[in-house]
Amino acid sequence: MKQSPEMKKIQANMQPGVITINGFLGEDYRDLIQILDEDDNKVKSLGLTHQQIADHMRYLRDKGEAGLDEFIKIPPHYAVRVATVRGGIRCPFEDKGLVPKSNITVRNLETGEDITYTDLCIHFIEKHGFYQGKGSLYRNSPEKIVRVLEIKPDKE
Amino acid sequence: MNEVLTAIIVCSIISVGLTIIILIVNATVGNYGECELDINDGSKKLKIEGGQSLLSSLNSEGIFIPSACGGKGSCGLCKLKVLDGAGELLPTEEPWLTDEEKAGNIRLSCQVKVKNNLKIEIPEEYFLIKEFKCKVLSLTDLTHDIKELTVELLDPKEVDFKAGQFMQIKVPEYELSSEEVYRAYSVSSPPSVHDKIEFEIRLVPNGICTTYVHKYLKEGDIITINGPYGEFRLHDSEREVICIAGGSGMAPIKSILMDMVDNGINRKTRYFFGAVSKKDLFMTDKMAELEKQLPDFKFIPALSGPEPEDNWDGETGLITEVLAKHLENGDSVEAYLCGSPGMINACIKVLTDKGVPEERIYYDKFA
Repeated sequence: MKQSPEMKKIQANMQPGVITINGFLGEDYRDLIQILDEDDNKVKSLGLTHQQIADHMRYLRDKGEAGLDEFIKIPPHYAVRVATVRGGIRCPFEDKGLVPKSNITVRNLETGEDITYTDLCIHFIEKHGFYQGKGSLYRNSPEKIVRVLEIKPDKE
Repeated sequence: MNEVLTAIIVCSIISVGLTIIILIVNATVGNYGECELDINDGSKKLKIEGGQSLLSSLNSEGIFIPSACGGKGSCGLCKLKVLDGAGELLPTEEPWLTDEEKAGNIRLSCQVKVKNNLKIEIPEEYFLIKEFKCKVLSLTDLTHDIKELTVELLDPKEVDFKAGQFMQIKVPEYELSSEEVYRAYSVSSPPSVHDKIEFEIRLVPNGICTTYVHKYLKEGDIITINGPYGEFRLHDSEREVICIAGGSGMAPIKSILMDMVDNGINRKTRYFFGAVSKKDLFMTDKMAELEKQLPDFKFIPALSGPEPEDNWDGETGLITEVLAKHLENGDSVEAYLCGSPGMINACIKVLTDKGVPEERIYYDKFA
């Protein structure tokens, strides 16, 4: 699929130094449309939607906020720490407003596996199906998120 | 054959032409020449090379404006009054400014590019902010994820600050950061120590500065810091003092408490400190020492998830719960908070419910 001029503009916003120091693409030099397509296909093959994945991430984030910067146990077997910092960050897709700056760590206490994400990661997945480029600091692949958060497809 | 040769020649001519155009554009567009910064109605005038942000331009002239995000327009701290020459307000500034600030020519100095002469106002106290070259004296583990960083000031050799203020640490370009960045951290040592500064820094996953301090910085390294910044400080009154913190929020509170010892301030003081389990608690010996030095001071640590092996017989629960249990009437109280915006908002709710007036709740929302 060919990348539109709008997509090119968005990809330019994702480069290091534009919105964040390291940008959102890591060492992934493909067109943004290809990055989005690959992760979209992966999510479909898992029988899920971006919205379902974002909902799980937000659920744990909201529950974890009660820990007031410290890890808090969330049933069935997660420990979550939500650390928010001053300020907000612009979305490279040029959505209006600012997304709060945060750092959310979810530890699956059964498997011992961790993931770290931000409010912007949830926004990216929910609104744009974007999981960031390979090698980006905050990239979590759909498979990893689904595995650590144990997200299952809805039963028909 | 001729067609191939013609194509090669045409391509070469186009390439050379494009290169010349790029060179001309580079030399003209984006080259704003020398610009003048008129500061505080002519009290200081600086000649600088245009093209950088106002924040960077001032930094390079030794004038440091508070900023906690490294000039990316994501903290909203670096506001300055720009009276003339800044052009239209940018979409990146809009979310940070109130209507009143917009009407008053307040701008985010990290977003305003110096393209021509500018007329600006800088608060006088910002001229007291200095850059310090320092040597790392020690890096001590306080918990599994908090380190105490102690630096010796080399040039200048001494600093004056108020207990509760913060400094910015400059992180050089390294594996996690493609450029130099500054990050803000509260000073944990007391103002009576002028030649050394201590910080307490918690490792944040993927954090550029915290990872640098925890995993790359070594004793003996030379680093650059600047400051002091901030209005968080003990206010002059006889009211009871309530301090609330968790994790590295300990830093400014410890500085304030040590300053109270140095200045013989004997106000009733209660310090609520939140942690998960005993492995997250630190400075308990120092707090016990302060309990002996300050006649009416009590350190009240609370664990939200103590482990069985902790054998913890102190307060348990979230710091907000323990605070609500201890604080009966907030009428005559002043509160000093250090933590993330989420933690501070939760504590403000408890304090105001207990009758502490909002104007007597002091904090820097940093984390």
